[in-house]
Amino acid sequence: MASTEHGAAPAVRRPGLTVEDIAAISTLMGESPALYASRRAAADRYATVADPDRVTHLWRFTDPGLLLPADVTARAAVAPHEAPHTAGAAARVLMLAGLRPLIAVDLRALAVGLVVKPLAEADEELANLGDRRGAAGRDPEEGLFQALNGAAWNTGLYVGVPRGVILTDPVHVVVDAAGGSVLPRLVVDLGEGAQAVVVEEHTGGDAGSRVVAASELHAGAGSRLRHVLVQTWQEGVCGHLTARTRAGRDADVLTVFASFGGERSKVELATDLAGEGARSEMIGVVMGAGRQRFDHHTRHRHLAGRTWSNIDFKAVADASARSSYTGLIRIEQDARGSEAYQENRNLLLSGSSRADSIPELEILNQDVSCSHGATVAPVDPGQVFYLQSRGLDPDEALRLVVRGFLEKTLSSLPEDLRERLEGLVGTRLAALQGRAS
Amino acid sequence: MNVDTQHRIADINQNYAERYGFHDPEDYFLKAPKGISHELVEMISRKKNEPQWMSDIRHQALDIFLAKPMPTWGDNAMLGEIDFANIHYYIKPKGEQTSDWNEVPEQIKKTFDRLGIPEAERKFLAGVTAQYESEVVYHSIRADLEKLGVLFMDMDSGLREHPEVVRKYFGTVIPTRDNKFSALNTAAWSGGSFIYVPKGVKVDVPLQAYFRINAENMGQFERTLIIADEGSSVHYIEGCTAPTYSSDSLHSAVVELIAMKGARIRYTTIQNWSTNVFNLVTKRAHAHEDAVVEWVDGNLGSKLTMKYPAIVLKGERAHGEVLSIAFAGHGQHQDAGAKMIHAAPNTTSRIVSKSISKDDGRSSYRGLVKIAKGAHGCRTSVECDALLIGEHARSDTYPTMDIAESDVNVEHEARVSKVGEEQLFYLQSRGLDQDKARLMIVNGFIEPFVKELPMEYAVELNRLIELEMEGSVG
Repeated sequence: MASTEHGAAPAVRRPGLTVEDIAAISTLMGESPALYASRRAAADRYATVADPDRVTHLWRFTDPGLLLPADVTARAAVAPHEAPHTAGAAARVLMLAGLRPLIAVDLRALAVGLVVKPLAEADEELANLGDRRGAAGRDPEEGLFQALNGAAWNTGLYVGVPRGVILTDPVHVVVDAAGGSVLPRLVVDLGEGAQAVVVEEHTGGDAGSRVVAASELHAGAGSRLRHVLVQTWQEGVCGHLTARTRAGRDADVLTVFASFGGERSKVELATDLAGEGARSEMIGVVMGAGRQRFDHHTRHRHLAGRTWSNIDFKAVADASARSSYTGLIRIEQDARGSEAYQENRNLLLSGSSRADSIPELEILNQDVSCSHGATVAPVDPGQVFYLQSRGLDPDEALRLVVRGFLEKTLSSLPEDLRERLEGLVGTRLAALQGRAS
Repeated sequence: MNVDTQHRIADINQNYAERYGFHDPEDYFLKAPKGISHELVEMISRKKNEPQWMSDIRHQALDIFLAKPMPTWGDNAMLGEIDFANIHYYIKPKGEQTSDWNEVPEQIKKTFDRLGIPEAERKFLAGVTAQYESEVVYHSIRADLEKLGVLFMDMDSGLREHPEVVRKYFGTVIPTRDNKFSALNTAAWSGGSFIYVPKGVKVDVPLQAYFRINAENMGQFERTLIIADEGSSVHYIEGCTAPTYSSDSLHSAVVELIAMKGARIRYTTIQNWSTNVFNLVTKRAHAHEDAVVEWVDGNLGSKLTMKYPAIVLKGERAHGEVLSIAFAGHGQHQDAGAKMIHAAPNTTSRIVSKSISKDDGRSSYRGLVKIAKGAHGCRTSVECDALLIGEHARSDTYPTMDIAESDVNVEHEARVSKVGEEQLFYLQSRGLDQDKARLMIVNGFIEPFVKELPMEYAVELNRLIELEMEGSVG
């Protein structure tokens, strides 16, 4: 029998959170009694929830203590001078800890009914969502970080796209990691048949920044949601990002995640295929260098029949970087006629880079088609040699091999997204220099 | 498999009660009261007239067992059903161990005859051991092998006759505190096989052990140690069955294999415990330079099996292989898998796991591939295939890849499916009825496993599968 013995782990040091602290944050956010009540409920969970279990795969690779902020009590921030502009977007939002989000909405988008507002003012919208949320029950992976965000979030945004509204330009949300403890909370609600692209970009910060983010996305029946989660933190930033998506009947969800920055980050992505015929695709790219640590978790839960999911996750690790991946596909008994696929490939560019992969399946019904694959391998010296024989220098050859590795994944993205991610990849590749062939 | 064999497969494990599930009237030399304690451990040790060092190991192990919590992973609900206080930890049948089949007590002999032992021996084996409850009751080995210096005996005799070898290797592959159940086994062990194959000796036909539980609420804790010296090779096969009772028994073995430089060990298990047996087994091998270790692991029976045969590839160019098949029927959970630890450069490994879940049965593949820092040039591949038959069947795949070296190639693939409509349609269009067509598909599915088995076992396995499949309409 397997041994998964760990010594008794010391308790995780949680930031303190008193009733007064919560009241102070609530006042700072200027929120309604209903939101304050949900904060208090989350605080109760925070007080009682067990530490992340390092024995389970979800927390196998990351010490939760390293991601937690030391202090989450209320601290007001000063608004930057420059407000966002709307060029090329349906809306642009800048979120900073302790501050109402700075929001600019394009007039045409406003005219068709796009709602972008501080979460503190979205009482009615959240009440409306409440029923649909309840139906799913508590998320099985709800834990310390989700409870902490629920209790102490210090910047919040609501994005609503009414039924039938099709937004052609993205809603671009930038979350700045400046200011120590950043706990952003984002709620996105797409009505029936609506279509939207929501870009959630985590950026900035410094060695003192700790981010604990939570996003909740609802894709109504027949809607089409693209959620792009990009992390380009400065060096030294550590954080935990959660995104939970619920796809209704025939909804079509694409989640793109790209992690490039920071020192240590853990990302938990989960999409519930809750309505018959729902589809979800996750496409992820990670490029790590230096001593960066990335830990990504994906989960597809098939709750209804004829649902479809796919995951394509590629990680490239250079220098002493390490990428860890755990992914779960669960097909419930009622989800007949479902299909689920999962692929994780890891490319190691140096002798001290490292990758872990745990792709898990739980299939509770026979009428499914399901597969997954995972690989970890170094750069094929044959490929590099071939390219050099065609006149490329070793650095160029290596860059081309890495591009080739990511090509299939990136090419499946919509044009604008692909260009943006290729730009980020390019920046990283430019840093790959001066290695012997 | 030919059509004839297929026909014989008509009703697998559906008649387990009749074929394997019967039990003898209890007539024992000694049946320890239920529960485990230092007094009981002392009693076992004294009965066996063991050296003090072994007795000390047992008592330390019991303390570790009592102190260790139950595993928090795996099937906690089922594990929670084990009542350690309601188990007989030691039962000694009447009669002494013999190498003459005629001397085996009548009742036990009838039991093993009914199970086909030693019929199997006469046909193709180099040696046989038969364990009934806690003790080995029959043992034989081909004379020519004995002359070559091959040691094949039960573990208790091994300890008596070769204490220096046992002391040197016992617990070196699986330390007592490895897990709660290895500690329990170390405290209460009795029986099992001890094998030593001298340098360069190749045992060309398999050695076999057969384990039988008879009493209700029995705990069987056999301990096996196999050492293949440099350049030698050996194939060991074990089979196990038990009566069907309404309350649970516990089987918790520890199996340690050591393949020295250039040696080759293949260890085959056909586990067919009745569905009231908890089968919680620790199996691990050390493979030294250029050695090859293969676990061929078939899990058909038991209520809950948790078993992850492991190979530590300690020497350069060592190769490890696990080929496993699990069949989970009504009320069963086969939580099986494999562990490959690449601790030396240029080592290679392959895991192929096949599972079939039927009715409300659940099969889980739980595996680990670990490549240590500095173990460059390793290659490993893991392939899992699961077949689901029935609305309530469940399949899980929990592979872990822990790779601390970049100059390696690691691959994992898993597929889950039901019996394909197109395949069925095709076969039916060729004149097979639905049951036969389904059976043929299942047989094709497990074929890579079956072809690694000695003929007798392959036929038996196919027959078992056929029985299990009978009348299933997915």
